[in-house]
Amino acid sequence: MTEMEPSHLEPAPDMRKLVADDVNVYYGTFQAIKHASLTMRGQHVTALIGPSGCGKTTFLRALNRMHDLTPGARVEGEVLLDGEDIYGPDADPVVIRHRIGMVFQRANPFPKTIYENVIYGPRIHGERNKAKLDAIAERALRQAALWDEVKDRLNRSALDLSGGQQQRLCIARAVALDPEVILMDEPASALDPIATSKIEDLITQLTEQFTVVIVTHSMQQAARISDYTAFFHLGEIVEVGPTNQIFTHPKEKRTEDYITGRFG
Amino acid sequence: MLLEFPYAVIALQARRSRRVEQIALLGLRVAAGFVIVAMIALLGYLALEGTKTFYVDHVNVGEFLFSPNFAVDSGHPGSAVYVVGSIAVTFFAVAVGGPFGIAVGVFLAEIAPRRMTDVLKPAIELMVGIPSVVYGWLGLTLLVPLIRTHTSSPSGFGLAAAGIVLSIMILPTVITLSEDAFRSLPAALKEGSLALGATRWQTITRVLLPSASSGLAVALILGIARAVGETLAIQMVIGNATQFPTNIFAPTAALTTEIVTDMQGATQGSLLQHSLFSMALLLLLIAMLLIVLVRFALRRRT
Amino acid sequence: MAITAPSARSVAATGSVRVRKLADAVATIVLWVMASSIIVMLAAFVIYMVYLGWSALTPSFVFGKPLEHAAGGGIGPEIYNSFYILILTLAFTIPIAVSAGIYLQEYALPGTFRSVVQFSAESLATVPSIVMGLFGLLIFVYTFHWGYTALGGALTLTLLNLPALVRVTQEALASVPDTLREASMALGGTKWQTITRVVLPSAIGRLTTGVVLIAGRIYGETAALIFTAGLSVTGNQPYDLNPFHTAETLAVHLWYTHSESVVPDVDRIGNGSALVLLIMVLAFNVAARIAGRVLTKRFTGRTS
Repeated sequence: MTEMEPSHLEPAPDMRKLVADDVNVYYGTFQAIKHASLTMRGQHVTALIGPSGCGKTTFLRALNRMHDLTPGARVEGEVLLDGEDIYGPDADPVVIRHRIGMVFQRANPFPKTIYENVIYGPRIHGERNKAKLDAIAERALRQAALWDEVKDRLNRSALDLSGGQQQRLCIARAVALDPEVILMDEPASALDPIATSKIEDLITQLTEQFTVVIVTHSMQQAARISDYTAFFHLGEIVEVGPTNQIFTHPKEKRTEDYITGRFG
Repeated sequence: MLLEFPYAVIALQARRSRRVEQIALLGLRVAAGFVIVAMIALLGYLALEGTKTFYVDHVNVGEFLFSPNFAVDSGHPGSAVYVVGSIAVTFFAVAVGGPFGIAVGVFLAEIAPRRMTDVLKPAIELMVGIPSVVYGWLGLTLLVPLIRTHTSSPSGFGLAAAGIVLSIMILPTVITLSEDAFRSLPAALKEGSLALGATRWQTITRVLLPSASSGLAVALILGIARAVGETLAIQMVIGNATQFPTNIFAPTAALTTEIVTDMQGATQGSLLQHSLFSMALLLLLIAMLLIVLVRFALRRRT
Repeated sequence: MAITAPSARSVAATGSVRVRKLADAVATIVLWVMASSIIVMLAAFVIYMVYLGWSALTPSFVFGKPLEHAAGGGIGPEIYNSFYILILTLAFTIPIAVSAGIYLQEYALPGTFRSVVQFSAESLATVPSIVMGLFGLLIFVYTFHWGYTALGGALTLTLLNLPALVRVTQEALASVPDTLREASMALGGTKWQTITRVVLPSAIGRLTTGVVLIAGRIYGETAALIFTAGLSVTGNQPYDLNPFHTAETLAVHLWYTHSESVVPDVDRIGNGSALVLLIMVLAFNVAARIAGRVLTKRFTGRTS
């Protein structure tokens, strides 16, 4: 799916969309993420894999400052969006989360109509023009490959949709804000195989416009859709590289053990 | 890549939203602070007024608490009669309503089929909603004549009438809390007992009741608290006579009923009024003490 | 292969087992009787009140004014006062309690302020209503020199019901799953936007049910009003809007007629008042349920 990169992994500066630099995450005194550094390329998919409890979701949530919501959680290090640290003194989480969106493991649509769910983001950021909101809703639902299925029932409750549709609605909700990066936390793990493959096709489509970082516990999924893969173990990034290379010629033994199913 | 939302627009709105939040948060904090102020004001004023009996009228605290004569006219108000009355009527109510309530609580948690629960639970909710003055009126019109005709009591008013009315009033509290206590027991406990061949009743009495004991204690203590604070319902049927309840059909009085009965006639600043406020303070202390007991019991359970 | 003899045990019940089962059956019956007796007793009360009070509910009774000494008085002003004080009380209680509840549940960080607020709310909840009434007497009637007023009664009832509504608010907010809050925050919402646009609408059903049930309690409150709102009604017709006048409510009136009053038709007034109170209680109970269901459906599009 992607060409093999040259042996050095540092992409050109204009491709360094989201860069984590020596990130440490603490829950109280427990250190969940240790010295994690990762460059996530623009308009590519970076997958985070690893056994359960290895910290991949914790790392993901550090990328849009969701740990701000957890009392007792602390993030050290820098996360640079186009070169600016999102944890810097002038950084505003409200703005950051407009530019870096998130889709959760279990679809969590608001108990509102489909329409209201999709335009929630633009509305809270100040957009009031009904025509504009309608246009955004259509655009976002098309981007999430959901438009044809719901265009006649935008005013029905979002909770009436199937699990897979709800998750695509959450994706639509996130892209309605026209973010630059989309973070996805095991977006298909609660879905059946058909819904899952729809989501995977969607992710590939989304990459044309957005940068995607996806946490997945399925190596097959990572292999199918991602360009780059980072392997997490016990809170550290053990190895990073083009997906092909990670899965066929892993450099670290731990990576190889995980890939071949010796643990996790 | 063309962005639909320019950064400047996003940042401006973010600042506006933050400002709105700050104002809202201030309002919320003020409301929370008001709660604190209210409690302090309540405790302060009542303590101030309730102790006037002692520092203005120079009544001895011990005498106030233990003297059996409410001799206000001679400057020696003793509230022992009312304290005993409160204790007696509360004891009666809990002795009758407590076991009954726990039994129905067990029934709801372990035995009742869905159809029965669907009728019983709304009935209990309705009982909670009935104002205490209506319970008092029911006691007055139904119970007191009944007692008068069927027992030695000349008027029907007295401890028994008040106790029965009160036990009915605390039933919902005891029932709901007992039911909760039983429902919160792990199913494994019941299953283990049944798996050993015990009958359901044996399981209830030998395993479930003891295990739920701290929750049941909470139910009873809160029932007591409800009973101690009840005023109108018992005032209408207790007889309001300042005498110790020598037998359960004799008219008597409690702290709460005495306050209602005599407060209207008390002139501001008189010893009578001060004494009544002291009784109110006493009531408050008792109520708070009971709640402390509840917290203690709750802590033991977890 | 030898055929083994039948085992010495069977599965049929022996004597001692039958005794235990008998005890179980008896106990079950007793409990059924006890539980049913509650339903029967309640039904009996309702039937009794309807039977006695129905004839008293004439328009001249329900809308007429009370009389001090003669028969034929009505309860119109008292019913009005009950509603008036209810609305006044809610006007104060709802903003304060819901705000405090939101603060405690959504914003407050564990610390001294939070613990003190929670402790104060719980302490206020332990105050018996008569004691609160005396406090109201002290502050509003004496210290503020208002005398007996509807406003004084309403403020006293506010203090009495604050803890309950704070608790209702906290529970309603807690019933909203965190994942919805996360979704809103992840879209760049502030906490306040999350609360007003997502959490509160989701919690509104439970909140309203709680408020209406508390309203029912306020309507029937007596002890706290006797010494704050007073025992008489003003002569103003049709209905007094001034919060600084005395305002005897229906519940207080029921008590008053049966302890102090000297009118000859005490029974009729009592029966009628009790029935009206019962009807109001039922109405509030039913309204609470309906409001909860309707609002949840409207604000969230689903039925729970």
